[in-house]
Amino acid sequence: MSRTNIIALLVFGAILGYFLSFGAESTRKFQAGIYQLLAPFLSSGSGLQKQITQVRSGLKSLEELERENSGLRVENRELRATNQALRDVEQEVNRLRHALNYRERSVFKLVPAIVITRDASTWWHTITVNRGKEDKIEPDMPVVTDEGLVGKTTTVSASISVVLLVSDENCKIAASVEGTREQGIVSGERVTTGLVPSLYLNFLSKQADLKPGQKVYTSGVGGVFPSGLPVGSVKSFRVRELDGQAQLTPLVDLSHLEDVFIVTGRK
Amino acid sequence: MIFFVLLLVFVTLAQITEFFIPPLGWLYNTHIYIVPLIVFYAAVALPIPLMLAVALYAGILLDALTVQVIGSKVEISLGWSILLYAVLAGFMHGLRPLFVRGRWEVHCLLSGICTSLILFAQYLMITFRRGSVFFSPQVWWQIGGPGLIAMLMAPLVFWILHWLAHVTAFPYLPERDRFE
Repeated sequence: MSRTNIIALLVFGAILGYFLSFGAESTRKFQAGIYQLLAPFLSSGSGLQKQITQVRSGLKSLEELERENSGLRVENRELRATNQALRDVEQEVNRLRHALNYRERSVFKLVPAIVITRDASTWWHTITVNRGKEDKIEPDMPVVTDEGLVGKTTTVSASISVVLLVSDENCKIAASVEGTREQGIVSGERVTTGLVPSLYLNFLSKQADLKPGQKVYTSGVGGVFPSGLPVGSVKSFRVRELDGQAQLTPLVDLSHLEDVFIVTGRK
Repeated sequence: MIFFVLLLVFVTLAQITEFFIPPLGWLYNTHIYIVPLIVFYAAVALPIPLMLAVALYAGILLDALTVQVIGSKVEISLGWSILLYAVLAGFMHGLRPLFVRGRWEVHCLLSGICTSLILFAQYLMITFRRGSVFFSPQVWWQIGGPGLIAMLMAPLVFWILHWLAHVTAFPYLPERDRFE
């Protein structure tokens, strides 16, 4: 082996050792730095992705229109396209109005955020949102929509935050079941088995006998999630050797998140 | 040297692009990974010091953008991806004589296998951290699926990168591949 290669290996080993010695706080800071460096690319990538999706859906509706109205003139097509565009705008206005209403009637102080990226890796269920330290966001803040709990912030850079979704096995939530005194810990799956991720409410009593459809809310124990946030609804219940376990369906459609709110405190 | 810088730029772009490629729902939510293919091409096309530099850069990016810090613990320490990339790239570099002889198919197949090996190693690490070891068909698909996709994409990615190496007159290319 040549001298250059040996020197390269030694330098590589030294840098590797340096990174492996990082603790949680240094890792978080380093991650935040990298996210901040890439923030412009991630934000513009998100915008580009939305534009491509819009163009794709626009072309699709034109194809449908062509099939249905092959005899119509160009003006008619333009009018229909305009109508379609207006419907999209109306839909967006309704969605934002819905979100604004939720923000106003919520008992929490909410910071609205837009989802930039989602599910960047196989084993961790995360999204990134366009809010960070500049908006007074900190790690371990709950993230919600008007439908229920989405997750909590982990790494926070100046203008971007990583949100660990409730569907991740590492996101543990103290929760209680409506209409009962049952309490347990909700966590996600290591590997998603279906199209909709499942959540599991563990450490219930064996006598819990929960019924499908019962709602599960955060209990407020643990300090991260305030009490009363809807998490999911019971899909099934089974008795294990030491405890009872309920399978839950998340109330929020985690695969189509666009706007979320970060809970920064109570009003 | 231009080609080496280009590879670093491609690694960055590919890593950002991966954020926006949705997982394949019809294939057990298989993710599509492009960065490993660039690293593995670098492994056969670059000399060892530059190969290590690419592995280092790609590993840092991957860890910084994906590793989870939960409370006061890091699930997989920053640096493990660097080590994985370097070991697998080193293995690919060992097969460079085949690449020099123009036998690309071996490296295309190995790129897929090595992509899956990275995911397998990550899964083992998080399994040991979280406990309760289990291997379901879904787990195997999530490990093997990206490898299969990488194998399919490898010829195209390798061809594009090889063409760029030609265009930039990269001096470490096999003799017969250089422009006169």
